[in-house]
Amino acid sequence: MDAASQIRTPSSLPVLEVRELALRFGSRLVQERMSFAVAPRTIFAIVGVSGCGKSTLLRSLIGLMVPASGQVLYGGADYWAAGSAQRKHLRTGCGMLFQSAALWSSMTVEQNIDLALRQLTTLGEAQRVTRIAEVLAWVGLEKFGNFRPADLSGGMKKHAALARAIAGAPPLLLLDEPSAGLDPISSCNLDALILDIRSRTGAAVIFVSHELPSLFALADDGIFLDADSKRPIAHGSPRDMLAHSQEPTVHAFMRRQALPASAPAPVRATAPAIAPAPDQTRAHPGP
Amino acid sequence: MAVQVSETVTGVLAAAQARLSAWLGGPEEAITFLGRIPLSAVALCTRRARFPWPDFLRVTLQCSAQALLIVIAVNLLVGAILAFVGAVQLNKFGAGIYVADLVGISMVREMAAVMTAVVMAGRSGAAFAAELATMQSNEEVDALEVLGMDTAAWLVVPRILALTVILPLLYVFACAAGLLGGLLVATGMMNLSESAYLDRSALILITPHFAIGATKSVCFGFLIGLTGCWYGLTASRTAAGVGEATTRAVVASIVWVIVLDAVFALCAHALGV
Repeated sequence: MDAASQIRTPSSLPVLEVRELALRFGSRLVQERMSFAVAPRTIFAIVGVSGCGKSTLLRSLIGLMVPASGQVLYGGADYWAAGSAQRKHLRTGCGMLFQSAALWSSMTVEQNIDLALRQLTTLGEAQRVTRIAEVLAWVGLEKFGNFRPADLSGGMKKHAALARAIAGAPPLLLLDEPSAGLDPISSCNLDALILDIRSRTGAAVIFVSHELPSLFALADDGIFLDADSKRPIAHGSPRDMLAHSQEPTVHAFMRRQALPASAPAPVRATAPAIAPAPDQTRAHPGP
Repeated sequence: MAVQVSETVTGVLAAAQARLSAWLGGPEEAITFLGRIPLSAVALCTRRARFPWPDFLRVTLQCSAQALLIVIAVNLLVGAILAFVGAVQLNKFGAGIYVADLVGISMVREMAAVMTAVVMAGRSGAAFAAELATMQSNEEVDALEVLGMDTAAWLVVPRILALTVILPLLYVFACAAGLLGGLLVATGMMNLSESAYLDRSALILITPHFAIGATKSVCFGFLIGLTGCWYGLTASRTAAGVGEATTRAVVASIVWVIVLDAVFALCAHALGV
């Protein structure tokens, strides 16, 4: 696939690296001092309370929002320092699943995927048809290719959008709240699908989520963005954050608890009440 | 005193500029948007951008066949109203036959193009704004950008092109409907013969009148398409934003159509056409 070649890197290099990134809406600071790297085949979570700037960070990673300062490096190439042609080149190496699925409503599911393939690859028509059937079967929508997005349920839209995102075999997938608005079973199926995609394609995945079961099931690494201090306050997998972070917000979030009004003493880590046991987290049923 | 007046004037101008910027969505953004359209058109011509043929055909159908009936109905009534008002006044001077001049010149030079533009602003301009604003709020436009697609070439140029091509065609039907409306009133109320009315119309309807009307309709089509797309793509990403974009697109389109019509009238007068 052409798209896959854009940001393929040696296994030693991170697929994506963020250095001292700051985001602003006009004069309002959203987040600053964000630095992290996403290794190949890693599932990386962007975590934080509502309104802390998770989706905004994702938008700046994909080129939809200009950061106030800092660097976003794809395979070592600085995205925001690059010219428009190279930016486009780098961006096509990413597959994006939007929070609202963002399927083009005037097209069928097949046409949605076909447009992505025509834009990202040099495949001929017959090869595109084969690839569309392949990705639709993968996400369990092989019978819904000629449906329009309006005729699909919320979960099916997410699966269809995921099929569109992976069609060009991108080395990096960005998922904005993939399981938002889904019932627990659909959410669980989507988690299993994401793990399957990672294991079959080797793509790195960056995802934004509030769903604790999904976070504990999927994330190998991550960053916790704080809405008050406007900077990251924890790094690592959700379990590492819970075990090692001294931040009350992180503990309250990971345990699904209300944050006390006064600043409490750092919490000592214990197992999360809601998080599944490690051996259960990777054992979702298939879609 | 002079300082106070100066400060007041500056304050009023700053407030007006802020309101205008808010209304337009920001002058820099507007200039960027305007600049992207010719670039995208060139990209389409040189096959560096994709043209959405199915979308273009769908939009063209909405702007043409599906709008034809309302355009004909409105212009038929406008022609009849002009004839009715003219008949009452002209009959006082025994100049009833000149109602054909009044209706013919008014419809062909002005009213057919303007009324068709107003109908299309309320129909297609509003539809463009609503559709693009909904796409914006559903992140569909972002999804196109992430793919590296030229969103102006994919979303804006086909819509502007559809209206720019279709409006002159609708104008022809509008002229015919307006003249028919005038004929019905003139023959029904004023006892003018059909042949006298048609002979008089054929005498006064010279090519420059049609040329001016057709040129206007091309410009109006471009303007309505541009305005609808602009307000759709700059809408806020909320349900209220869709409604607001639609309202603004219709109001702005109608205002700009009237302004442009006035400019045409001044230019035609200056050129002696």
